[in-house]
Amino acid sequence: MSRLDAKKPSLCKSEPLTSERVRTTLSVLKTIVTSCYGPSGRLKQLHNGSGGYVCTTSQSSALLSHLSVTHPILKILTASVQNHVSSFSDCGLFTAILCCNLIENVQRLGLTPTSVIRLNTHLLSLCISYLKSETCGCRIPVDFSSTQILLCLVRSILTSKPACTLTRAETEHISALILRAFLLTIPENAEGHIILGKCLIVPLKGQRVIDSTVLPGILIEMSEVQLMRLLPIKKSAALKVALFCTTLSGDISDTGEGTVVLSYGVSLENAVLDQLLNLGRQLVSDHVDLVLCQKVIHPSLKQFLNMHRVIAIDRIGVTLMEPLTKMTGTQPIGSLGSISPNSYGSVKDVCTAKFGSKHFVHLTPNEATICSLLLCNRNDTAWDELKLTCQTALHVLQLTLKEPWALLGGGCTETHLAAYIRHKTHNNPESILKDDECTQTELQLIAEAFCSALESVVGSLEHDGGEILTDMKYGHLWSVQADSPCLVNWPDLLSQCGCGLYNSREELSWSFLRSTHHPFVPQTCLSHEAVGSVSNLTLDCLTAKLSGLQVAVETANLILDLSYVIEDTN
Amino acid sequence: MLSSMAAAGSVTAALQVTEVLEAIVSCCVGPEGRQVLCTKPTGEVLLSRNGGRLLEALHLEHPIARMIVDCVSSHLKKTGDGAKTFIIYLCHLLRGLHSITEKEKDSLMCENIQTYGRHWKNCCQWKFISQALLTFQTQVLDGIMDQYLSRHFLSIFSSAKEKTLCRSSLELLLEAYFCGRVGRNNHKFISQLMCDYFFKCTTCKSGTDVFELVDDCFVELNVGVTGLPVSDSRIIAGLVLQKDFSRYCPADGDIRMVIVTETIQPLFSASGSEFILNSEAQFQTSQFWIMEKTKAIMKHLCSQNVTLLLSSVRQPDLVIYYAGVNGISVVECLSSEEISLIQRIIGLSPFVPLHALSQCEISNTALVKFCKPLILRSRRYVHLGLISTCTFIPHCIVLCGPVQGLIKQHEDALHGAFKMLRQLFKDLDLNYVTQANDQSDTASLFICKNSGESYKVPDARNGSIQKPYPDTVIENKDELEKTQTYLKAYSNLAISDVELETYIPYSIPKLTPADTFQTDETLRCLSLEKNRLIGDYEALLKSSSTAYSTRGNNRIEICYENLQVTNITGKGGLLPVSFKLQNMGTSQSYLSSSVPAGCVLPVGGNFEILLHYYLLNYAKKCHQSEETVVSIIANALLGIPKVLYKSKTGKDSFPHMYIRAVHALQTNEPIVSSQAGLESVTGKCQLLTSVLQCLTKILTIDLVITVKRHPQKVHSQDSEDEL
Repeated sequence: MSRLDAKKPSLCKSEPLTSERVRTTLSVLKTIVTSCYGPSGRLKQLHNGSGGYVCTTSQSSALLSHLSVTHPILKILTASVQNHVSSFSDCGLFTAILCCNLIENVQRLGLTPTSVIRLNTHLLSLCISYLKSETCGCRIPVDFSSTQILLCLVRSILTSKPACTLTRAETEHISALILRAFLLTIPENAEGHIILGKCLIVPLKGQRVIDSTVLPGILIEMSEVQLMRLLPIKKSAALKVALFCTTLSGDISDTGEGTVVLSYGVSLENAVLDQLLNLGRQLVSDHVDLVLCQKVIHPSLKQFLNMHRVIAIDRIGVTLMEPLTKMTGTQPIGSLGSISPNSYGSVKDVCTAKFGSKHFVHLTPNEATICSLLLCNRNDTAWDELKLTCQTALHVLQLTLKEPWALLGGGCTETHLAAYIRHKTHNNPESILKDDECTQTELQLIAEAFCSALESVVGSLEHDGGEILTDMKYGHLWSVQADSPCLVNWPDLLSQCGCGLYNSREELSWSFLRSTHHPFVPQTCLSHEAVGSVSNLTLDCLTAKLSGLQVAVETANLILDLSYVIEDTN
Repeated sequence: MLSSMAAAGSVTAALQVTEVLEAIVSCCVGPEGRQVLCTKPTGEVLLSRNGGRLLEALHLEHPIARMIVDCVSSHLKKTGDGAKTFIIYLCHLLRGLHSITEKEKDSLMCENIQTYGRHWKNCCQWKFISQALLTFQTQVLDGIMDQYLSRHFLSIFSSAKEKTLCRSSLELLLEAYFCGRVGRNNHKFISQLMCDYFFKCTTCKSGTDVFELVDDCFVELNVGVTGLPVSDSRIIAGLVLQKDFSRYCPADGDIRMVIVTETIQPLFSASGSEFILNSEAQFQTSQFWIMEKTKAIMKHLCSQNVTLLLSSVRQPDLVIYYAGVNGISVVECLSSEEISLIQRIIGLSPFVPLHALSQCEISNTALVKFCKPLILRSRRYVHLGLISTCTFIPHCIVLCGPVQGLIKQHEDALHGAFKMLRQLFKDLDLNYVTQANDQSDTASLFICKNSGESYKVPDARNGSIQKPYPDTVIENKDELEKTQTYLKAYSNLAISDVELETYIPYSIPKLTPADTFQTDETLRCLSLEKNRLIGDYEALLKSSSTAYSTRGNNRIEICYENLQVTNITGKGGLLPVSFKLQNMGTSQSYLSSSVPAGCVLPVGGNFEILLHYYLLNYAKKCHQSEETVVSIIANALLGIPKVLYKSKTGKDSFPHMYIRAVHALQTNEPIVSSQAGLESVTGKCQLLTSVLQCLTKILTIDLVITVKRHPQKVHSQDSEDEL
């Protein structure tokens, strides 16, 4: 055994943000994330140099978990985006791009970190309070009595992930399925505290997307041979279910810490098997119709149960245990004897089903909030992306249920917000500065950096060389295609704004987003008629965007505040 | 073969090392300080402004640097604060020593040493200085603190006797503390969070034991949640266990719980024993017996209304199953720290399953207010509403942040704050020597002073503190009005009027015997003279020395934003004085005194400037050699305010501030601090002692020998020795 080496001294670098290497790596990360953003975002193919799994994606969660970053500053940035995504699922790329933009813009100014951080925090709280206020002109209430806005929300999420490779019809189909699955997880008679159920996503790769479907209850996958052995059940009433979490394989369970000495001829296996068969007898006499076991059931016990017309399904796995417990209302049994009668549960029906090449046992609940989403897509990578997207959409719907508001998508919220901040800092700087030590000039500089960071985020929605404009009334985003002739009438070129709320028939004036223009008051307070008349809006989740905004600014502040980086080289 | 390399262990080398460290730590000091990003070999990323953590992360190689880091970490272990100040102060001390050696090389050397080489001469000189430092630290420093500095101390407590804290002063203390510890956009929020936590966890009866408990168990009392903005951090009542229920059964009404530290299911065979099975039936019977026994224990628990089982070990499926059947929720695999925290809060001893059935009633159960799952960002926790039997009311802090590194920083800072409070609530002993044969005015004066005080102070104190409240009001009706108008003048301060009015009753007794209001332009401080004491003093003082007559108002009470200044000057009390009187004839007298719990000073280098001023005054009365050492110490102290005021310009810059402060001291006016906020005096005193000890250590080293050994060889040598 050799001795441990002495610790190597760490590397210590001062003012890390000024170093060329950090700037380059930050801008590389920025190009990666910006090129993925939006419905026309470019896909990234991630694969290991030595072969294996290939991932094609444009989603931040998949992208960042596969990227391996080495520089500590990038680690902070990616970790905070990943943490945001794992708690809100959506708006990961938005957070990452905004954070990169903020760092880059503020770095250029060369102000002291103290004032930068203070002002950034002020501007952030200005944004947050505006987005939460009644007068906010870029959010709409979500009406749960109709599916229109909910569908818009889900559709916006699906279209923003091009790696799912869905056609228009497929998008419609999947949006409807996701919404249906979500509605199935809401308990019917909920009073006060609602506990949402669960939607299990069942993979079915290699099938057409249109074949995807939603079923109430749980699907347990099984081989065809096993399925043949199951007897058809002829019973109209609910089925009695016993769910075991302990093994029924006849292993000799824990014999304690001491030693066990067996006399000649004594077989413990037989003793345990006897015990199992006794258990079987008890189950039969209790009129159990269905025995489910997380682990393995001994073949003899299985046969015994089959003989008495009891269906036995084993090797269910730990992931299905919780939904099964919830759906059947059972108490998972951990004992091989004396089962208390109140630990049995029930299901409405058991039937077999075949989807594609796979066979399933389908358990239908009496009244429970568990459903299964059978998700099909052409190949593995597209399926993985679609699954992530569906999870995001379901999570966004849950968040929207808690906070029933949605933000206008398609970049309109960002441009509107930038216009609002510009106007506020220009007309009423005293209210923001209050008793701070910062000067008005500093405020103007930082506000400009902040707003242009927000605007560059939406600027990266455009990947095909088109132009981005903003109108001077609502502060919404309008995009023009690249090959359009110049010097024509704007209303002819622009059909509708990014979120689809306004069209160009209205008398509006436009200007290029990147050009400097006078601060103007974007119209606040959305009218209900305007929202009601449009059927196809692009929407974003309010909760996720708010948190994304906060995390982006907080992380940028954190990185701008760094004076030293100490790297442990051991 | 041993190959070794030697390098002179000189002040120059140590100075070079500390200057590098100073450059790093000084950028994180104070309200303007910035963050440092540290990576661990595991790839973890940590944000920090904690000096100790930074020094540790550097993995320094230089032997002197390593020694300094060791000194810092042993200081931190004691106080949990002041690593950055340590380095800055040490650096300035070394700089001071370095510069005097350039000037006066021979002043401290004896003649016969000149025969040795130059290096050895230096070493001898350093030895001499280090001894002077040690003498200063052990015999003089505490005296200066006790006799001069103590009159400036403020007390954080709104009532010194009960050690109660009011919110506004705690806020000032904590804000100043977190300024140097967490990111500048979060320090206000975190200090509010800590303040809330403090007042939610303590009752009026709580003492230092609460700080001890929180300090010891802080890891268990907070939960980190990543992916949420920092502003989502909050305090929740009860205890959050970082585990999920193994089985959760919702229960209403009374919830009783038990703690177990072993499996409830009896073992098939005990360890160290042999179980002989003769037949299959025997095996089945014993299995059956185990099952029935488990079932019976769980039923018994249920019959005693127990609905919650906390276990430090994993329980078998069978136990979980019967718990579910009987409606008992189970939490398994709790760490020993979690178990001991619960036991400290509710004073419950573990339940022993096998003895349970013999007794008809289980004595060791405890009532719980609630017990439910808590979901924080899709992770599930167990949320327990414990009913405390000690002075700590259980609450947990949920710390949110975008990244783990930031949460860790906040956790460390909060933990450090509790360490600091724990120190603040303790008295700090001061021991020092007065030289009677010096014939200086000071010494003889102190004797007079102490003998005078030993009779007068106790009743004076009783008079001001124990005076019954109603009497005071009657006596001071006119003063009350004055007080209120006076307090109105504070309205530009951050404290609301409502708060002010609630504190008026406390401030009245202090203001009662008011003779003169010292009118200073800011109206921040108010010092009062006490007639009864002054009477005796002036007679004594005038006779001995006129130089000290201005210091007569030795019992001062200052109103500093609702803070009360207690009399600390004469706190030596009766014991040391009587001891002293016995020693009147000898040349040296040993005094002991203390910095009482809760002493604070305004932030922004106040302590350093005060000590600097009094040390320089003291130095004037010393012998020449001693004078150099003391003035080096005094000047080095200014290094800290210099760093703090680095970014300030104009009237707020360091030279302006320093001149104002010294002027105020000379004219005996209170110093006006530009920053609100307070810091603990105890921590500062301990820091100073630690730095001086570290410096003494550095100076006594004359040669650093680097030993390069081959690891294998050493290993074999070791094993030979063993043989």
